[in-house]
Amino acid sequence: MAIKTLDEVEFGVDLPTFVPDTSLAITTKFAKLVGWDGPRFTDHEAAKKEGLAGAMVPGILSQGYLVAMIHNWAPAAEVLAVDTVFRAPVIADEAHTITGVVTDIDEEDGKVEIDLTVANEKGETRVFGTATVKLPKLPK
Amino acid sequence: MDADIEEIREKYLNLDFDEKQFTIDPETTIQYATLCGETADRFLDANHEDFQAPPTFVASLSGGRMLPKDFPRFGIGMDAGKGVECLQPVRPGSTLTGKTHLHDIYTKTGRSGRMIFVVTRIEFYDAEGNHLVNSDSRMVMRERS
Repeated sequence: MAIKTLDEVEFGVDLPTFVPDTSLAITTKFAKLVGWDGPRFTDHEAAKKEGLAGAMVPGILSQGYLVAMIHNWAPAAEVLAVDTVFRAPVIADEAHTITGVVTDIDEEDGKVEIDLTVANEKGETRVFGTATVKLPKLPK
Repeated sequence: MDADIEEIREKYLNLDFDEKQFTIDPETTIQYATLCGETADRFLDANHEDFQAPPTFVASLSGGRMLPKDFPRFGIGMDAGKGVECLQPVRPGSTLTGKTHLHDIYTKTGRSGRMIFVVTRIEFYDAEGNHLVNSDSRMVMRERS
């Protein structure tokens, strides 16, 4: 069930797991959209020649997945900040899951802090980050 | 903090070294949102009353340069992360001005030696001069031995 207001959020609760579309078709389209259409983002074989395990998902797309996950959980959430660390490449066409957990709630200001992680099928963390979002409060 | 880092912090932090205009194309922001997996109408429907670019869209906008012209080259730079701080929504169809400065410089030392982290921040303003959003790029340079 989608979260609508701050009072529905509990400290320590896990957000519903989000499975992003990391297919090469999507990541290539994204890379071209933002002008990052070098072969490392669009071609597995070319990326392997650069020493990568395959074509990479652009880091800013992974960041976009994190925010989309938050909006899937709480459509009205206003993202105030998101900070992302690219720990290791996210490889296109490999399955990844995004998990999130509520680590702080500021009842006064209506803010929620969420820790987010992108992991591959082996459970290895590829990207992690923290987001601060604002949610509507129930009228008193 | 190492003396050389203290010195370059004093010389470079918080000084604008680049300015660039960006036109925010509605079709592009909608595609951006769609490819990220956004489902909220305010990012996908140009007719929505609160139509806006997805919060991280500005991370895709690059200034004219990442570092000041005479910034010391410690080694090859790699993308270590991105951050976005949203103050007001970015409206598709508007024109933004991005002003770039170095926001932070720090080091971490590991088994392979010293790594220098540089945070480049672009502050985005609308045509009225309202500060809308900050976009940070964190670059790490492994020092040449």
